[in-house]
Amino acid sequence: MNPKQLSRYLRQILLGSVLTMTVLAACLVWQVTVAQTARRWLSHSDRVTTSLDLLQKLIDDQETSLRGYQLTGDPQMLDPFKAANNRIEPLFGSLHQAIADNPKQSAGLTLMQERYERWLAFAQKMLTENPAGLRDPQLNEQGKILMDQVRAAAFELQSREAALRRQRYDDAQREERRTLRFISLGGPLAGLLLGLFMVMRLRAVSRAYSRSAAELEHRAQELHTGREWLQTTLESIGDAVIACDSEGNVDFLNAVAQKLTGWTATEAKGKPLTTVFHIVNEETRAVCENPVDKVRRLNTVVGLANHTVLISKDGREYVIDDSASPIRGDDDRMLGVVLVFRDVTELRRTEAALLANEKLAIAGRLAASIAHEIHNPLDSIANLLYLIKDEKNSAKSAEYLGFAQQELDRVMQISRTMLSLYREPSSPAELDLRELLESVLLLLDRRLAEQHIVLVRDFPERVIIQGFPGELRQVLTNVIVNAAEASGAHGRIAIRLESVPPEEFRGAGAVIEVRDSGAGIEEGAAASLFQPFFTTKGERGTGLGLWVSLGIVQKHGGTMRIMNSTAPDYPGALVRIFLPTRTMATSMRRNKALKAGPE
Amino acid sequence: MNRPPTILCIDDEELGLLVRKAVLERAGYHVLTAAEGKQGLELFDNNSIDGVVLDYSMPGMNGMEIARIMRNRKPHVPILLHSAYVGLPPEAIALASHTLTKGSGPADLLRSVEQLVGHGGKH
Repeated sequence: MNPKQLSRYLRQILLGSVLTMTVLAACLVWQVTVAQTARRWLSHSDRVTTSLDLLQKLIDDQETSLRGYQLTGDPQMLDPFKAANNRIEPLFGSLHQAIADNPKQSAGLTLMQERYERWLAFAQKMLTENPAGLRDPQLNEQGKILMDQVRAAAFELQSREAALRRQRYDDAQREERRTLRFISLGGPLAGLLLGLFMVMRLRAVSRAYSRSAAELEHRAQELHTGREWLQTTLESIGDAVIACDSEGNVDFLNAVAQKLTGWTATEAKGKPLTTVFHIVNEETRAVCENPVDKVRRLNTVVGLANHTVLISKDGREYVIDDSASPIRGDDDRMLGVVLVFRDVTELRRTEAALLANEKLAIAGRLAASIAHEIHNPLDSIANLLYLIKDEKNSAKSAEYLGFAQQELDRVMQISRTMLSLYREPSSPAELDLRELLESVLLLLDRRLAEQHIVLVRDFPERVIIQGFPGELRQVLTNVIVNAAEASGAHGRIAIRLESVPPEEFRGAGAVIEVRDSGAGIEEGAAASLFQPFFTTKGERGTGLGLWVSLGIVQKHGGTMRIMNSTAPDYPGALVRIFLPTRTMATSMRRNKALKAGPE
Repeated sequence: MNRPPTILCIDDEELGLLVRKAVLERAGYHVLTAAEGKQGLELFDNNSIDGVVLDYSMPGMNGMEIARIMRNRKPHVPILLHSAYVGLPPEAIALASHTLTKGSGPADLLRSVEQLVGHGGKH
């Protein structure tokens, strides 16, 4: 349940309560008002009755006063008469006002007033004009008749008012009862309604809450499972993994990382990466840049420099190959850095063994040529010495000696060339590529001749570069032997060497191109040519030649590409090697990128 | 046997061929030489040859191919396969009467040729 829903429910509950109570109050107010009105009418009737009684009494007093005066002739007896006279008039006025709402009673009062005034006129006329007639029974009789009429009218009024009062009393009683009933029923009813409504709403809230709680629990469970799963995955992978927070402090390291660094997860947690992951350059022993800093600086995935050595807590060293990547949040903010690395010490040893192996393989490929180049002159020398031994003719001897010397030079040259494959200066030396190519071809001459391969050389005078001659001989031997194997018997090979001026992104250097008349490179093979153990020669190939060659060329800061040639005489492969004039090579460096394809 | 045995030497190594001829001639053989297969086969066909000293690795026809043709034409003529290589193909070895590795010295060469033609030489 979301907070919006909850506040809507709360609003409904508040509004419901206020509304219910307001309706209840309104009904009560109305009911009380009705009851009050009924009571007011009742009091009104009482007041009218009282006034009528008073009026009746005053009129009676006047009549009694008049009779007293008649009997005694004492004018003092007339005092009440006169006093009542002053009060009766206003009393009639106020009564008229009080019952103005009731036309019947108003008419009754008017009749009573008229009759009274008639009696009063009669009484006053008698008092002023004919005081002697006071004793006149006839006149008395007339007075009595008039007064009876007044009384009759008064009686009528009173009885009607009494009837009205009774009814109003009943009304008031009824309204009071109704009020009580309303209070006793309306209250509980409103409470019941309100309660039901609240229960309904609260039940909805409770349901929504339960749903939310269940969902939350489910999510928490999922999160937990997901985290467990990731943890297990990270623990299980064969590479070492270290995760750091954005400050570069270790957050997690898996089992392999624990083994390589020598730190347990508990020990390492929270420690700066540089403490746990102590890396130096294999050759210079200089401390390498903290990968976290590097990732933060470049904000991208970075690979470690080659020849990085991890020194574990117990002092053990591992050559490692690794990468560091930023961990980014949803908002692309860097949350940390994850390092993945592996121990390549064994791999490096294997690689070294493979390189040595390939050197032997090259020597093996040259063995036939070498045997031929050494055995032939040796054979001649042995024969010449045999001839010289018994030769009497000194001129002839000298000639034989010259031949022997010539053949010996040949053997020595071959021997030197052979050794140069293995003997290597510790730093790059100035060398003439043309001379180098010629010496390689010298060793391969026999082999090419056997296959009747037509070799076309296109070499300028001298091309001087810096490099390791033995390694470059290995590369060239490899490439030319490949070309010879691809071309087959009676094939053609063209070798071109030229100096090239500096270009953008590239210094001056030399390009060697070897074209052959073979079948060229199959489409699918192009990408794999430089991979170790890739061979198209079946049992005959080690699959290491081009891999090693590329390594050597890259070590010299050069490039090596293989593509299909477009020259009509050489429809096969074209190998193009670029070597810079000034090499950056040291005795060990190998670019990791071994992939190359056709142009 | 009045005339000395005639040996045909075929080798593309000119100096080697020249020196070998001198060594064999000093041992009393009559020596014919050819620098490649075609010329060698011509001499083989047109002369009475008692033995052939044949190099294996040559441009054009190699020793095995030449030996095969010779065996077809004159199967009785013995052939010494005289090569700089140690690992010759078995087929080539099967075609030859004898084999000899170059560089083993004139004594071995003379002994092998002697065995080949069954002749002790003049000396």
